[in-house]
Formats: sequence, structure tokens, C-alpha cells
Amino acid sequence: MTAILQTQKLRVEYRSRELKPPQKVALQGLDLEVRAGEVFGFLGPNGAGKTTTMNVLLGFVPPTAGSASLFGIDVRQPIARQRIGYLPELTYYYKFLTAEEILRFYATIFGIARREADKRIAELLKLVELEHAAKRPIKSYSKGMQQRVGLAQALINNPDLLILDEPTSGLDPLGRMKVREIIQRLKNEGKTVFFSSHELGEVETVCDRVAIVHQGELKAVGTVADISRGHSNLEQAFLKIVGVQTTPQP
Amino acid sequence: MNKIIAVAGVVIKELYRRKDFYVLFVLTALLTCAAGAMNFFHDDKIVRYVKDICLLLIWVSSLVVAIVTTARQIPAERESRTIFPLLAKPVSRGQVVAGKFLGCWLATGIALIVFYLFFAIIAGSREHIWPVGIYLQAAWMQWMLLGIVIAMVLLGSIYLAAPSSTSTISFVAVGGILLLGGHLKNIALAQPEPMQGILTFLYFSIPHLEWFYLSDFVVYNFAAVPWAKIILATLYAAVWIGIFLLLTWAGFRRKNLTT
Amino acid sequence: MKAAASLLFALLALMAFSLATQLDLAATGWSRADRSGNFLGLMFGDGRKLLGNQFFTMADVYFHSGYYPTIFDQKSEGQKEIIAASHGKKEDEEDEKNEDFFGKPKDWVDAFGRNFKITQHTHLEQGREREILPWLRLAAELDPNKIETYTVGAFFLREHLHRTDQAEAFLREGLRQNPGSCELLFELGRLYRASKLDFDHARNVWYLGVNRYLALKPEEQKENRLIFEEMAVNLAYLEDQTGRYEEAINWFRAAQQVAVNPTALQEQIDAIQKKIPAKQP
Repeated sequence: MTAILQTQKLRVEYRSRELKPPQKVALQGLDLEVRAGEVFGFLGPNGAGKTTTMNVLLGFVPPTAGSASLFGIDVRQPIARQRIGYLPELTYYYKFLTAEEILRFYATIFGIARREADKRIAELLKLVELEHAAKRPIKSYSKGMQQRVGLAQALINNPDLLILDEPTSGLDPLGRMKVREIIQRLKNEGKTVFFSSHELGEVETVCDRVAIVHQGELKAVGTVADISRGHSNLEQAFLKIVGVQTTPQP
Repeated sequence: MNKIIAVAGVVIKELYRRKDFYVLFVLTALLTCAAGAMNFFHDDKIVRYVKDICLLLIWVSSLVVAIVTTARQIPAERESRTIFPLLAKPVSRGQVVAGKFLGCWLATGIALIVFYLFFAIIAGSREHIWPVGIYLQAAWMQWMLLGIVIAMVLLGSIYLAAPSSTSTISFVAVGGILLLGGHLKNIALAQPEPMQGILTFLYFSIPHLEWFYLSDFVVYNFAAVPWAKIILATLYAAVWIGIFLLLTWAGFRRKNLTT
Repeated sequence: MKAAASLLFALLALMAFSLATQLDLAATGWSRADRSGNFLGLMFGDGRKLLGNQFFTMADVYFHSGYYPTIFDQKSEGQKEIIAASHGKKEDEEDEKNEDFFGKPKDWVDAFGRNFKITQHTHLEQGREREILPWLRLAAELDPNKIETYTVGAFFLREHLHRTDQAEAFLREGLRQNPGSCELLFELGRLYRASKLDFDHARNVWYLGVNRYLALKPEEQKENRLIFEEMAVNLAYLEDQTGRYEEAINWFRAAQQVAVNPTALQEQIDAIQKKIPAKQP
């Protein structure tokens, strides 16, 4: 299988001033490879480097060293993001626009023709159950509704790779179920999903492979079964890898 | 280009869905009508002071719309974090800067059309003449000036911490150039060195916004300026817009948006 | 709870109303609005005089259709031009039109910039002089003690716009604000003599003006010498015109005492003396 998402010796340093020494090394030589058609879970404790990795992949942060590519194209090229969908952890959209206008705006950015955009917007609004509120400004939406707009915009270009940052955080159980359903559906359609999560149970149920990152370094990568081997479950394996001592269960 | 237009479209929608423009327009209309309703020596043919007041209000209002709208564009995107879903799409930072500029410029252009239509109705109804040529030139030149101002404010918004500081500094800079820009050489000549050299350098290196102020021609009913000069001034504005946008792009391109 | 809140609101409203009725009388003592008697006074206080001066200048800018020097230009005494015009010195007006305070362009920035500013020196005429009136009216509102505002306004109303009654009303308003002003009395006399051809009224007003001048302290008289000379000379012409030659000569002689060029006045005296029939022995 071909690598859709790849990082090689990726290093990111944060510094307050250009010429000053780095204050923090967020990633140190991260090698990652996500293959076409798989659901890939990206795990790690807070501050491990998950968000930084995503920021590099999305072009928000330039790598200090190493490289990152999507579909074989350097992430610094905007075209690398033509076939991806991104759902941020929290929803951030222009509150004065309606859901329909947001989706049309992003469709235009992707260069989707008007007729095709109309069709896709209608489909997505139906998928996220926002048809009734399509013409209302987003500022009047509840948090759950805003999250659903986020999901719809991430799918507007029918992406081959979906990058989800904590997609279920802050959602009620119904919302979580909906997200899981969508991830499953995308997998069935042959799409690739790369997502970070704290919900290890969720990762266990939907992921083909997972990577565990800690202090900016890749600690483990493989199938859920591979990583859990020798442990009672993925959570125990995760805790062991990140160096947290656990008391054995009676 | 479609991506730039799409980003610009959001800016325009924001302007007409916010209340700023409507408030300023109503204020301009009210003050102009109040000035027009004043009775001076029972003479209802007096018109120039109404034109003058209306144009002054249009200048102030359009500058407020341009500066305040532009100053908050990129900082607001960062603060509300809408910049992330946007940049996660196949759009470059240069396109975002260009889109923001185009949106603010077109939005102020639309506002200017509304303001000048109002002005033409007020002036025409009292003077019974319609000097369309000079009205067009005045509006066009003001729009060009606003183009320079918007590009300048966009640059400031990359480097300055808050939209309020960007707005304040921009108002001071624009006001200063409009009032003193053309006189810097005279001021320089009265100064000892090195101040003379500094002021002379400033005189040649600032954008001469005062060229774009044609209100006096409108108020005093002078003939239109030769169009060749207007074209040259437009080119001058385009060069300055280009300079400011280039600097904005250079700054924004390297900006770490996550801190 | 709701009833209590309503009751409290009603009580507060009643208190505010009662206090307002009591304080209204007391407030007239300290309120600026009542002292100045108008909105502009209330808005700007004594600082309005600065604005009044600015608005007077605006009238001059309008008279020149925007062709006006700034404080940075070579010549910055445009304000006096309108006053020169107010005294009917048309030749001064023509000379002034030929002046060019911009000079030659200093560089390409200046040269190109001149395409976008008014470089044509014109004066308002054919009734368009009315455009300066709003600024003079506002200047008078803002600074009622600026005499020139009334004299200039009255001159344009009378001489250019042929609205003598309004000119008289404006001057009388000035006199109410500045009782006994020699300049205003002089201008009012000119109005009676030149526009209303009411010589008796003109004579009375100028007499009043001269008496005011004579009642001034010596140092104040020194400052007002020119206006005294103007009044005396105009009175002399008036008396000459009405055939009262002795009085005319007396006024010319009075003017000679303060005049810069008494010889010219002597010529006028000599001319009148020729008109007096020789006394019978």
C-alpha cells in the first residue's frame, strides 16, 4: 500500500525570537507513515507533540528539520491539502455566515463547480442533520450543531484523507456515535483517516493501526493487537509506553 | 483567483452584516440633513457648506470603515481560530492576504458608492447641477487612497498586537500624511541637519495620500482633473498597494499562527 | 418581588423628578448653557472663540474657492484680504488675485501634487458670495466679540448680495454683543449712507462713533486712530455732499490730526473752501 501521509525525521523547535536558542523541542525526528485506506490513531499524553505534528501536516507550523508530505507533496505546498479534510478539536467558523454559506465558501476554495457544490452541500447538510438550520447564522447554533458544521466542512471536497483532531471531544454520546459511524463509512469507502484522540476505547474500536508519541518521539507504531500484546488492553500498553506506573488489578 | 474572491466574499458579507457601516451612514445622513436644514440669513441657495460637511463626513466614515474593518481581519481570524480550517484548505497565505485586501477594498468601495450617491442627491437637489465627471474622479481617487490605507493597515495588523493599536496607529499615520505629507519639504527646509535630511527622506518615501483628496474640486465646482493625471495617480496607488501587500505577505508567510 | 421592584422604580423616578424641579432653579446659577444662551456655547465653552476664528478663516477660504495658503506656504496672511475687500478696495482685490503663494514647484512630488489641488486664484462673484455667509454666521455665534465677523458679513450682504436689511440686522446684533464698537458704528453709518441714502441716520451713527472714540482712554484711542480717521473723513464727505461745507472742513481737520498723510486731506479742505461763497463785508 502507498503512503498517503509521511513524515521523515521531522523536527520542530519553538523559539521566541528567530536568532535565539530554541525554548522547546516539540518533535524530534518523527518518522510516520499512514497508508491508503487505513484508519490511523495518533495517541499521546498532553504535550507529546500530537497537535504539533498535525500543525505541520496542515501547514500551520514550518518544520525546523526533516520533511512532511501528503500524497507525496511537501506540506508547504497548498496543493498538498487539495485532497484532505480537516476537523479541528474545537469548532471555529465565521459566526456571521450560515452553514450553507460556510460550506459554499470552502467549496469555492477547493474549486468545486457550482452545480457540484450545490449537490454536495445538500448531501452534507442531510448527513449532519442540519438541513433545517442551513440558512441560520452559525452564531445561533448550539455547540453540537457547530461541531456538525465542522464535520460537514471537513467532507466538502470528498477528501481521500481526513485529519481529525480529537473529533469526539466535547460531544455527547449521540454525537460520538455519529462521528464513529462517519469514520466507519469513510473507511468502507476506501478513505484514509488520521486522527488524534484521548479516548483509547474509541481508538481500539475503529483504528487499523495506531502510533504512540511521547515527548516528541515516536514510541510505538502498529496494529492495536500488536501494541496491546502482553498487556490486558491498549490502555495498559499506552500507560506502560509513556512510562506511567500502574497498580496491577486484583 | 477564485480562492482570493472567495476570501474577499466573506469579508464583504461580514461588513454588511455588521452594524458599523449602517451606523456611520445614518450618522452621515443625519448630520448632513441637519446642516442642510440650518437657516443662514434666510438664503436657501447656500449649498457649499453642506457639500463640504457631507464630504468631510464621507471621508471620516470611509476611513473608519476601511481602517477598523481591515485592522481586525487577520487578528480576528487568529483569535477566533477560523484561520486554521481556512489554511487547512488548499489556499496559500498569500492568497489569504490578497483575499482580505480585496474584500476590504471592495467593501469600502461599495460603501463609497452609497455615500457618494447620497452626496450627489443632496448636492444635486440644492444646486441643480450634476458634475458627474468630478464626482467620479473624487470617488475614484478616494477609493485608491483607501486601497493604500487598507494595504498599510493589513501590514500593521501582522506586526501589531491588537486591532485597536493597529487602528489607532493607522489613523495617526493617515491623518498625519494627509495634513503634513505635502508640506514635509517646507518643514525640512526650516530645520537644521540631520533633521532636514530625515524629513526630506520622509517626504520622498511616504505615500502621498494628499494627492487623492479632490473634495475641494467638488465643493468649489471646479472642472475635472485631466484623466491622464488620474491614471498616473492610480498607478502610483497601485505601486504602493503592491509594496504594502508584498511586505504583508512576507511577514504573514513566516508567522507562527499557533502561538 | 416583581411588585417590590416596580415600587422601587416608581419611588426612584419620583425622587428624580422632585430633585429636578428643585435643582432646576439652582442650576441656572452655575449652568454654562444659561450663561452662553446657545448650543455652541454649551458644547465648547470659552474654547469656542478659537473655533470662531477658524470659521472666520473658512469664510475667507470659501471666498477664494479653496485657493488658500496653509501655515506652511510662503504667505499666510490671507485673512486680511477679505477685510481689505470689506472696505471696498477693489484695486487691492485685483492685486491680490495676481499673487501666487505656492511659488514654483519645489520637486516632482510638489509638481505632480498640484494637479490635485486648487491652484487657480479666484474670488466669489455674481451672488456666489452667499457661500461665505454660513461660516460668518457660525463665527459670530462662536465668538460674538470678533468685530470683523460682523463688518465683513454686513459688507457682503449689503454690497454683493444687496440685502441691506439683513446687513443692518447683523451689524445691530454685533452692536448688542459689543456695545459702542467704533468699527461697527462706522460700518453701520456706511450702510445708511451708501445703501439706504439715509444721510441723517448715517450722520447720527458716525457722531455716536466719534463720541465713543473720544471717550476712550488715550492708549485705546491710539489703537483706534484709523477708524476715527475713517469716520471723520466719511463725515466730511457726507457734510460736503449735503452742502454743510463748514462742518465738512471741520471733520477733515479733525481727521488730519490723526492721519498718516494730512497733506492729501488738506487738498480736500482747499477744494471745499473754494465752494464756500465769499462773505459779504
